[in-house]
Amino acid sequence: MHVVGVGRLRAVFEDFGAQVLFAGETLAWAVRPPFRPELLLHQAAAIGVGSTFIVAVTGLFAGMVLALQGNYAMRQFGAEGYVGGFVAISLVRELGPVFTALMVTGRSGSAITTELGTMRVTEQIDAMESMAVSPIQYLVVPRVLAATLMMPLLTVVFNATGYMGGYLIGTFVSLIPPGPFLDHTKSMVDVHDMTHGLSKAIIFGAVVSLIATFRGFTASGGARGVGESTTRAVVWSSVAILVVDYLLTFISIG
Amino acid sequence: MIRVHDLWKSFGEKEVLRGVTLEIPEGTTFVVLGASGSGKTVLLKHVIGLFKPDRGTVQVDGTEISSLTGRALTEARQVFGMVFQGAALFDSMTVFENVAFPLKEKERRISGADLRARVVESLRVVDLGEDVLGSWPSQLSGGMRKRVALARALVANPKVVLYDEPTTGLDPITTDSVDSMINQAKERRRVTSMVISHDIASAFRVADRLAVLYDGRIAAQGTPEEVRRSDDPYVKRFLSLWFEKQ
Repeated sequence: MHVVGVGRLRAVFEDFGAQVLFAGETLAWAVRPPFRPELLLHQAAAIGVGSTFIVAVTGLFAGMVLALQGNYAMRQFGAEGYVGGFVAISLVRELGPVFTALMVTGRSGSAITTELGTMRVTEQIDAMESMAVSPIQYLVVPRVLAATLMMPLLTVVFNATGYMGGYLIGTFVSLIPPGPFLDHTKSMVDVHDMTHGLSKAIIFGAVVSLIATFRGFTASGGARGVGESTTRAVVWSSVAILVVDYLLTFISIG
Repeated sequence: MIRVHDLWKSFGEKEVLRGVTLEIPEGTTFVVLGASGSGKTVLLKHVIGLFKPDRGTVQVDGTEISSLTGRALTEARQVFGMVFQGAALFDSMTVFENVAFPLKEKERRISGADLRARVVESLRVVDLGEDVLGSWPSQLSGGMRKRVALARALVANPKVVLYDEPTTGLDPITTDSVDSMINQAKERRRVTSMVISHDIASAFRVADRLAVLYDGRIAAQGTPEEVRRSDDPYVKRFLSLWFEKQ
């Protein structure tokens, strides 16, 4: 029992070490020619444009719920006017980057792992290597760069539709006057909050895409193995988002 | 051209290769025969550097592949073309894009017209016309996929072509045409070929030299006639079952 536990712990550390080495290798290949901007654009479209609708819808409803909950809590202190600021600051600092990263994990992260995993088990990645092309450079680098670049943009979309949803519910359903709603937003949210949230989004983009590509790359054992890798990618990405979020928030406001 | 010396490889407890040594001169076809699970594919993947040996060396065209990593290994692979057992065509690319891929990567400044001409020429070698250029791998039969894989392996004029079970699962007519293609590649382009197979008929048709791999070791090695006369009990049994059928 004890030996099994130690073995499993060791496997987790080895897995984490392999993931870190994979990230280092990806970084090394990212700065080496040849550069392939067309692949980056293709992935940016797949990850970014492809996720826009789902991120926008999720953002809209998250903002609407925040406005309802904010109004419920603040009404008790007669502070309904602060709901706008509450919605905005919650979205910009926390919910925007975290929810967007979780949505991108579910939609694009799983697709990346499945695609690369299938390529691995059908020897397409070996074939690419045999043609003197680094699969890390050709397959991984564009996906990681695209996710890292698109995540903050998607977060902006989430924040915008979220605030819009919050405004609609706050002013039309909870009947908060638009003036205080907007004024308190301006006074409570500053540039630092924006950069804090967007920095998180950039880091989440890199983390999620590195986990997804690593899991795809290390898939084995046919269709079942690819399925297991995809599940692992989604689970570990989701956990990593929340852990990294805590660490970044702690560093920022301790 | 290819020198494998005392190659050992284990996966966990299982010893897959146990001291394999062989030499393939330039411009010849060498076939490694063996039953499923004998370590043939593992041997082939060592030659192209997809696996690292536990012990021993692999030299290709004077370069010790087994000691290279990263970018150096990627560059050293420019001498290779490889045909995989399941063809391993990129399923997100059309036939044209598949065949053009190694050429575009090797000669990054090649013009669109030249690229198309070279792809069409390479497909012609494997008896495929321009009508398949826009097809997706999933729309092709197994035999056609293998031909496209061969065209892709040959398009960038490699010095060495590695074939992993090129005739497995093919009908006799397609098998015969794949054998002809392997011979043509040698005659027309002077390529050095290493073929991994358990198809004895095909092996005897294409091999200049062949080896029989059994339980991770070379049981016999030489010209087809020498191997046929081998005294090794496993080789005798392996070959006699087939020759009796004929």
